[in-house]
Amino acid sequence: MSDSENQAARFAREIAANAEKVFKATQLIANTRDEEVKVGTTPKHLVMRRDKVELFRYEPLAQQTVSTPVLVAYGLIGRYTMADLQPDRSLVRSLLNKGLDLWLIDWGQPGRNERWLTIDDYVDDYIDAAVDRIRKETGHDRVTLLGICEGGVFTVCYAALHPEKVKNLVITITPIDFHADVNDKAAHHGFINLWTRSLDPADIDKLVETFGVLPGEFMSSVFSMMTPMRSLTKYNVDLIDVVDDEDKFMNFLRMEKWLADRPHHPGEAAKQWLKELYQDNRLIDGSFELSGRKVDLRSITAPVLNVYALDDHIIPPDCSRALGGKIGSDDYTEIPLPGGHVGLFVSSKSQGKLSQSIADWLVARE
Amino acid sequence: MNDKAPSSKPVGATADWSNLWQSMAESSNRIVEAWSGSIAPFMMSRASEKAAGEVNDLSAAIERMAQGPQLADVWDFDRKVALAFGAWIDLRARLASYNAVTSAPWTEASRRFLEAVSKDKAEGTGTPDWRDMFAKWAEISNQELIKNQRTDAFLKAQKELLQAALQYRSRQTEVTDAISALFDLPTRRDLDEVTRQLTELRREVRALRREKEQSKGQP
Repeated sequence: MSDSENQAARFAREIAANAEKVFKATQLIANTRDEEVKVGTTPKHLVMRRDKVELFRYEPLAQQTVSTPVLVAYGLIGRYTMADLQPDRSLVRSLLNKGLDLWLIDWGQPGRNERWLTIDDYVDDYIDAAVDRIRKETGHDRVTLLGICEGGVFTVCYAALHPEKVKNLVITITPIDFHADVNDKAAHHGFINLWTRSLDPADIDKLVETFGVLPGEFMSSVFSMMTPMRSLTKYNVDLIDVVDDEDKFMNFLRMEKWLADRPHHPGEAAKQWLKELYQDNRLIDGSFELSGRKVDLRSITAPVLNVYALDDHIIPPDCSRALGGKIGSDDYTEIPLPGGHVGLFVSSKSQGKLSQSIADWLVARE
Repeated sequence: MNDKAPSSKPVGATADWSNLWQSMAESSNRIVEAWSGSIAPFMMSRASEKAAGEVNDLSAAIERMAQGPQLADVWDFDRKVALAFGAWIDLRARLASYNAVTSAPWTEASRRFLEAVSKDKAEGTGTPDWRDMFAKWAEISNQELIKNQRTDAFLKAQKELLQAALQYRSRQTEVTDAISALFDLPTRRDLDEVTRQLTELRREVRALRREKEQSKGQP
């Protein structure tokens, strides 16, 4: 058989093999039960419940190296399970393995009944109650806060309003200057910033008035739009690459499970998030108010570690970097890491770097 | 296209495959050029505006009719249904405008992709692997789609679609509220009011509890 015939035969074989793989993928999906796809499995126990919000303490996995308790706070868009997707891709498991005393505040599944909750409630009530409980349980006067994305904004606000209870502040992929996306030259960065600014404030009011919440499905569609071709190919062409590898296939399903688990964002808090922060950029200019008090970033006196992802398309790096020079503490560290918004937590390449950076920084301040 | 391939080019099935790509690229480029240079895009644009204009007129007429003065002894359920229908018509028009804006980048993506394929062919880089070809197509399309998302036209179309969808949803709610009231059932607004009061009460109780705890701590 000539080279050309071999190539033609190879091409035909590839087409047939790909069709077979897509068929196999559909069969695998059909035969996999949701309960087999587990996320957030690192052992923890419930310490406190307040409305739908729960405070957990993770079981230790190694001898303690940092005694100050660390409270992990995720945002209201998505769930904390991104930080504990699977045993070999888990920030919380890695931190536990490095000897940290880790606590988690889980916002649960807010719905329309939580429509009237504001960021004031999340910062000054739920986080404050969790911090007080941790202080009481551990005997520590102050705790370390570890905020992720919107949860990073909550912890920044808390550290500014309650500095006496915060020993260290670690924020990851956290927006501080919501208009700094204009400095980012990458076209795929910062669409949410641009899109939010294109809306009238009345549109956001109407959205919340209509649904009572910022619907989780709505935010999912905005996120899908930010990676258009990936969204079009992930259930077909992309499956060809994972179908023959059970680990990769289950990784794909766990990621899908995390993406599907997108609670509604409480309505009034969503108005603050989109109008006061994304549109009016009040956090950076010091005019953002919670419980009648201005959030003054200069009131943050605890050491701050600010970790951001260099290819973060959701929170462009400049939006995070803006915290530098704005706080009252001289102990400020920035760590840029390769990867994207979610990849920083779940990609195999970034595993270890994020947790090692955080643990080293905390050990040095113990 | 030449029937005979030059001797330096691949022969047999590979040559056929390679020539097919070249042929497709050239044909498609001609189609894209003809389309872009013709009056067709202008006509499509006008037709789209005309269609949107007509349904907007219908929607506005329903709105005018339904927004008339309320009469005390006339049941206004029909008015609510008419308003919901008008909002639905408007939503369809906004969706059509949105689809027109979002379909635009595919033409440019096709043009760029075929140009890239032709270039590879001209440089004699060999028979393309499907994976490489698909990766190239996905990369170019992604760039064009994202570029389109950042245009004023896209942002405007999306905003108007959102506004129309919210208007339709709120008109639907007015209809379902009227039905709920008819059967003496609480409406979503009633429940919202209850949860508002509950949230405010909870805040007050917790504030009082904090005050009490703080006063206990004082000498």
